[in-house]
Amino acid sequence: MKKLHFSFSTKLTFDDNVYNHSFALRCIPINNSTQSILNYDLEIKPFVSTKLTMDAFGNNVISGYIQEKHRYLDFDINGTAQIDSTIKTNDYLPCYLYQSKYTKPNDELKAFYNDIANQCRLFTPADRAAYFSQKLFDCMTYEKNITNTQTEASDAFKIKKGVCQDYSHIMLSLLRIDKIPCRYIAGLSSCAGETHSWIEFWDGNGWIGLDPANNCFVTDDYLILTQGRDFMDCSIDRGVMFGSYTRQMQLITSTLEQQ
Amino acid sequence: MRELKNENSLADTPAGNANEINELLRRYGVKFGIYKNGVFNEQFFPFDPIPRVISAEHFAVIEKGLIQRVTALNMFLYDIYHEKRIIKDNIIPEDFIYMSSGYLPQCEGIMPPKNIYSHISGIDLVQGKDGKWYILEDNLRIPSGASYPLIARELTRVASPKIFSDNPIADNRNYASLLKDTLDFSNCGGINAILTPGRCNAAYFEHSYLAELTESVLVQNHELFVENNILYHKTYSGEKNKVGTLYRRISDEYLDPLTFIPQSLIGIPNIMEAYRCGNIAIINAIGNGVADDKGIYYFVPKMIKYYLNEEPMLSNAPTYLPFYEKDKKYILDHIDKLVIKDVSESGGYGVTFGKELSKEKLQEFKSVITNEPRRFIAQEIIDFLELPIMDGEKAVMRKADLRAFVLSGESTRVWSSGLTRFSRNPDSFVVNSSQGGGFKDTWVLSQ
Amino acid sequence: MGVISVEHSDRIFWLGRYTERVFTTLKNLEKQYDSMIDDDPMIYMEFLQNFGLDDIYGNMQNFVSSFLFDQNNLHSVAYSLEKAYDNGIVLRENISSKALSFLQLAKDTLNKAFNSQKGLLFSLLPLEDSLFAFWGCINEYIYDDEIITLLMCGKYVERLDLYFRLKYDIKYIKLEFERLCDYLKKVPENTPYRYNAKYLNDLSEIIDIKEKYTDRLNDAVKSLGNLFLK
Repeated sequence: MKKLHFSFSTKLTFDDNVYNHSFALRCIPINNSTQSILNYDLEIKPFVSTKLTMDAFGNNVISGYIQEKHRYLDFDINGTAQIDSTIKTNDYLPCYLYQSKYTKPNDELKAFYNDIANQCRLFTPADRAAYFSQKLFDCMTYEKNITNTQTEASDAFKIKKGVCQDYSHIMLSLLRIDKIPCRYIAGLSSCAGETHSWIEFWDGNGWIGLDPANNCFVTDDYLILTQGRDFMDCSIDRGVMFGSYTRQMQLITSTLEQQ
Repeated sequence: MRELKNENSLADTPAGNANEINELLRRYGVKFGIYKNGVFNEQFFPFDPIPRVISAEHFAVIEKGLIQRVTALNMFLYDIYHEKRIIKDNIIPEDFIYMSSGYLPQCEGIMPPKNIYSHISGIDLVQGKDGKWYILEDNLRIPSGASYPLIARELTRVASPKIFSDNPIADNRNYASLLKDTLDFSNCGGINAILTPGRCNAAYFEHSYLAELTESVLVQNHELFVENNILYHKTYSGEKNKVGTLYRRISDEYLDPLTFIPQSLIGIPNIMEAYRCGNIAIINAIGNGVADDKGIYYFVPKMIKYYLNEEPMLSNAPTYLPFYEKDKKYILDHIDKLVIKDVSESGGYGVTFGKELSKEKLQEFKSVITNEPRRFIAQEIIDFLELPIMDGEKAVMRKADLRAFVLSGESTRVWSSGLTRFSRNPDSFVVNSSQGGGFKDTWVLSQ
Repeated sequence: MGVISVEHSDRIFWLGRYTERVFTTLKNLEKQYDSMIDDDPMIYMEFLQNFGLDDIYGNMQNFVSSFLFDQNNLHSVAYSLEKAYDNGIVLRENISSKALSFLQLAKDTLNKAFNSQKGLLFSLLPLEDSLFAFWGCINEYIYDDEIITLLMCGKYVERLDLYFRLKYDIKYIKLEFERLCDYLKKVPENTPYRYNAKYLNDLSEIIDIKEKYTDRLNDAVKSLGNLFLK
């Protein structure tokens, strides 16, 4: 068990005025049996009235609407969480067994699966997941700026390069072919500067975290922000706004450290 | 079966007044828009003046059967997004639910106002040559078409009044009040609004006509916004009116760019959160696609037994699922007398008649079915009744179906009419307007 | 009531303008055509000058034909009618199907007149009828005063604009201006068609003075064009 202090901030700046700006932020960590959120403080600028709901995947959603013209949107959250990764959560949805938009395998990925599944002599979901993770880790190279948030598992696997998001999607794809329910996680870990992504698989009783980009099981040093079928369900901020063609700059910083 | 009384000359029948009625339809702008080669065009929806007549006895059966079916479908939708009893009790294999593109996990646990999912159901039926009615398809998302027989009736009565006074034809012009009751019943406080993607949508006439008749506000997405989980309509003075019911004529995946397709330009951001909080009735509910999937169709009679403990009063067309080994074998052996439908397609697309394929194509198609069994259903070709339609001066026989409309509000009611669609082509079974077909009014006799 | 969005308010206003443009243009062409019967066949030149247009028509027949039927002539009845219909079709639930049907009927009538062998003025009579019927429906079926007000603002702004350009007698200008003012006053504040006090005052001044308003025609048209806050 660990007590961690977390902070996460995003600064969005637009190079011209925007208005009628609707947003949905999923930046408040999930409060469950593995991680209890002892306290948090969320600040959004410019000032806007917001509402908190919980979506079907169990994520906290902060929604808001800024009608007036503005040129930036900043949000900043920090707080304390107590984490015990030995306690499993068991909030299950049947859709986690099925491929989703980002995880649909192409023939190449299916062939890779057949190949490694044939060699795998292990039975428990945890053993198989660890085995697949190792095989994936062996053939992929972690490299930034090659893939982006639109990149799907099959595309990243084709080039065998990518970041944590791509590792997660491919891993989900493999596990789902193997009929192991699993889900995408976006969150913070002490080894990453921005946000990190990993996965959870269902071992029959509850969820177990696995970090395919680092080829290791999840420990008490991981804080879940969002969970869902894939990246699509887990975006930490989504927004729609009006304005003349506007470029936006996003600056994200996060910390996660033991208290 | 009661015959239609017509002791007068042809001049008093709608067929005799076809030109007058068509002129009136034109004048009232009864059109539908289509894109051809990237150019938008509005066409008049070809109207055939000879009505389909359904006897009171037949319609009584249809009515009971449809209420039963829609009741079960509504219970099914609630079940799927909540307890999932029907899966746990092994009535429907879970693959058919969760692999359906219409199933939206984002809707898990959401309770629509008054627990109604399908407020407006368009159920397609055909009548076999044996006189028996079969269900062909359920449409529980955005079934369109009610406005056409509705306005056609209004105008036919103007052109051919006598036949209506001589015959007990149920008035169908109550559709507007049925619809309004339905919108009002689920309303969460606020105005009723109809959301249209705009004038270029094929059904724009229907959107605006129904808005007029139900006194709803016809809106496009940029006139709406969600603030504090409440949906508002923005007026020209900058005031905001709360919307209590949104009869949306755009599909689920475009409805909220912050939940579904992010690139959607016709949706309303955060409407999903307003819906989740019970602040807005969305008609029909989001996620209904899981119940009108062509694969789920097979299971509807089982649903009726499961939820209502009743025998289905209306039959499905005999259907086989290649998903089941026994059915697959039957399909592959009898493919030449079956029609195969791709469950992901609609609007008359993705329909293949085994007998129309060449030897090589047939072999190819069989292997596709074998490899992707979940993608298809196969049905016996029903030899359905042909109806007379006017082709110039003379009547010719053509295939036709019936889309019946079932409205669920305080109670579930069937509209005593419906959209009868026919194919232009004598050899075709495909009646969709997007494929060049026309429509007829449907006269239900009241005694 | 009070459910008009910004976009709808534009549509309503322009529906008023275009239907009026059809009507007044039609009236004028009829007048021209009539005087041509026993008068100077080049009388249409004055009409063109009023709009600052060149004579590319050569004769009265071509001129009338273009200003009635040519969709590509931005001053024609056909063009304005199409524009009126374009605005009307997205306002069905506001103005009633009945009112909209008379715009369709007007379009059909114009087409028929184009192909008619009968006298032109005679063939155009039903077109005028449909426009009267359209305005009858507006009065009959619309209960929302704000919609009527906007439509009428559009209608009388357009009428005044055309009357200015066609140099109508000041007597008529004054009457129409009074009508316009009655409706302008009813437009709620903070809406796009609330009048701009300065320009309304200017207009009033130009119309009120004894000297010929035609000397200040440009100012009059300009003030009318700036009449609204939006």
